[in-house]
Amino acid sequence: MASGLPKRIIKETERLVAEPVPGIHAVPHEDNLRYFDVSIHGPAQSPYEGGIFRLELFLPEDYPMTPPKIRFLTKIYHPNIDRLGRICLDVLKGNWSPALQIRTILLSIQALLGAPNPDDPLANDVAQRWKEDEKAAIATAREWTRTHAMT
Amino acid sequence: MSAKVPRNFRLLEELEKGEKGLGADGCSYGLTDGDDVMMSNWNATILGPPHSAHENRIYSLKIYCGASYPDQPPSVHFISKINLPGVSQTNGKVDLSKLGRVSQWNRDFTMEKILVALREYMAHPNCRKLPQPPEGSTY
Repeated sequence: MASGLPKRIIKETERLVAEPVPGIHAVPHEDNLRYFDVSIHGPAQSPYEGGIFRLELFLPEDYPMTPPKIRFLTKIYHPNIDRLGRICLDVLKGNWSPALQIRTILLSIQALLGAPNPDDPLANDVAQRWKEDEKAAIATAREWTRTHAMT
Repeated sequence: MSAKVPRNFRLLEELEKGEKGLGADGCSYGLTDGDDVMMSNWNATILGPPHSAHENRIYSLKIYCGASYPDQPPSVHFISKINLPGVSQTNGKVDLSKLGRVSQWNRDFTMEKILVALREYMAHPNCRKLPQPPEGSTY
C-alpha cells in the first residue's frame, strides 16, 4: 500500500478482498488506491438479473467525512440512475455517515437495483414511464440489461 | 499524499459546475452528447469581451478531453472564425502553449480556466483591436 493512504481505507480494501460480498467485486487501481473498479451482479427476480454492471468508485480526500463518489459505467434503465450513470441514493448524499463503508454503499446500490424508486427519480423520463406503465418500463430495463450488461 | 481525482470524476465535477455556472465570466460549457458516458466531447461558448472587436459576439468552441485528461490538456477548437494569435486560421485549433495562464499545463486546470484565459486574451491590448472575420462565419 502506498504511503499516506489512511488506515481506514487500507482496512476496508483488505476486507473487500478477503471477505468479498456475494455478487459484488471492488478492486482498487494500482496507480490510485482511492479509485476502484466495481462490478455488481443484477439481483435475482429483478429486470437486471443476469447482468453484470460495471461501476467506478472514488474515495475523496476527506473520506469518510464525505461519501464515496460512484457511478455506473454500464448503461442501465433505472429511475434512480441517469444517462451518465449517476445514482440518486440518500446514503450517497445527506444520509451519509462515516459509519457506513464502501461495502455498505455497494450493497445499497445492489438493493436499489432490486427496488427501483420512481417517486424519488433522477432520470425523470424513466421514472415517469415507470409510473405510467411499469410493465413496459421493466421490459425495457430487461432489454437494456441484455444489450449492455451481458457482453 | 493528497487524493488524485480520476478523469471521469473530474469531468463530472466540471459538468456540474458548468450546468450551474452558466454565463459566469462570459463563458459556458457542457457535454455535446448527454449520453456520452466517457464525457469526451464538449461544446463551449465565449461571450466576446467588452471594449474589443469581439464585443457582443458569441464564439462557439469544441473541446475534446482524451483518456489522459486532466494529466494532459484537452484539445480546443474555435468553431466560430476568429482572428487571434495562437488560433489556427485553417481549422480554429487553439495552441494552448501560447495562452499565458494555461501554457504550463497542470492537472488542476479545468476547461473553464482555459475559456477564461482565452476570453482575457481576446481583450488583451495586442489582440482586442484585431480586425475580425464576419460575424457568424465558421471553420
